[in-house]
Amino acid sequence: MFVLVNGKAYPFPQSGTLAALLRSLSPLAPFAVALNEEFISQGTYENCLVHPNDRIDIVHPTAGG
Amino acid sequence: MERQAIQDELILYGRRFTSRLLLGTARYDSPSLLADAIGVANPALLTVSLRRQLSGSKESGESFWNLLRETNRTLLPNTAGCLSAHEAVKTACMGRELFQTNLVKLEVIGDELNLQPDPFGLVEAAMELVKLGFHVLPYCTEDWILCRRLMDAGCEALMPWAAPIGTGQGPRNPRALRELRQRAPQIPLIIDAGIGLPSHACQVMEWGFDGVLLNTAVSRANDPVQMASAFANAVRAGRGSFLAGPMVAQETAVPSTPEIGRPFADAQLQSPRSIDSALDPRLPVQALV
Repeated sequence: MFVLVNGKAYPFPQSGTLAALLRSLSPLAPFAVALNEEFISQGTYENCLVHPNDRIDIVHPTAGG
Repeated sequence: MERQAIQDELILYGRRFTSRLLLGTARYDSPSLLADAIGVANPALLTVSLRRQLSGSKESGESFWNLLRETNRTLLPNTAGCLSAHEAVKTACMGRELFQTNLVKLEVIGDELNLQPDPFGLVEAAMELVKLGFHVLPYCTEDWILCRRLMDAGCEALMPWAAPIGTGQGPRNPRALRELRQRAPQIPLIIDAGIGLPSHACQVMEWGFDGVLLNTAVSRANDPVQMASAFANAVRAGRGSFLAGPMVAQETAVPSTPEIGRPFADAQLQSPRSIDSALDPRLPVQALV
């Protein structure tokens, strides 16, 4: 199956957790995550299931005004 | 007589700051310029944001994060670009986890041309964020009703604009801004956006605003570091003026040098005064010298 990570298709096995997906992506820390446009707190990654075509946003610190 | 120094601090949600300048971190030509500008401006807070990882960007990533940490400043994550309350709340939650702070500069934009805050979305988002334990600093307009609603929602500081973001126009509506200051004397009011010159910053501080948040006016100056220093001085000067209590402006000229004892004064009179009247013993000695 595929999920959308920051707008790009990414192959991911069926019935995986968000924690597993993040381990496979290895984003640079620090980061924060939204699944299908809902914020997912760090402490719940292991319990959060990712389904086909889910949209995952991974964000990092950036400059802002 | 030696005057006792008065501790003049900006207090936001119980946090105390000696500086009244808040500085944005965007649009600098290089990270070193940003670091130097922060060094000379000595800002109370640094505004930051969050975005998807941008490869090759000098304004994000590990080096940017390390730069922020080395400044040892309080960070103020924003919700820049959010067009709805729901989006802003989600972004604020992500920012809280990313930057480990419950402070948030709340932006809900209602018009993409002039980046004017959406008053309805702003109040809705502020209410929700306060419930979630955030310390909300909303970027708003100077509209009194909006400001009142934001205070009712639990905001303990407000950040009205001077002019649209990034324009550098300076205060567009001085009268309304000053009225807002008068009507909300207790709550910290920080002018956010639209400041272009140190004189703009000084002006609003003289009106009694508690601080100034700016970004582009420094980062897009020819010499951002020198401009950061100029703004820091301007904010201090304006605050000092406000605390000192400026004189009341007069309609007509009032001589500052004493009139009494002016030499040759008698020669300019239509009917010359006698030597006796010039030496009137009732005049104080000082006035005759």
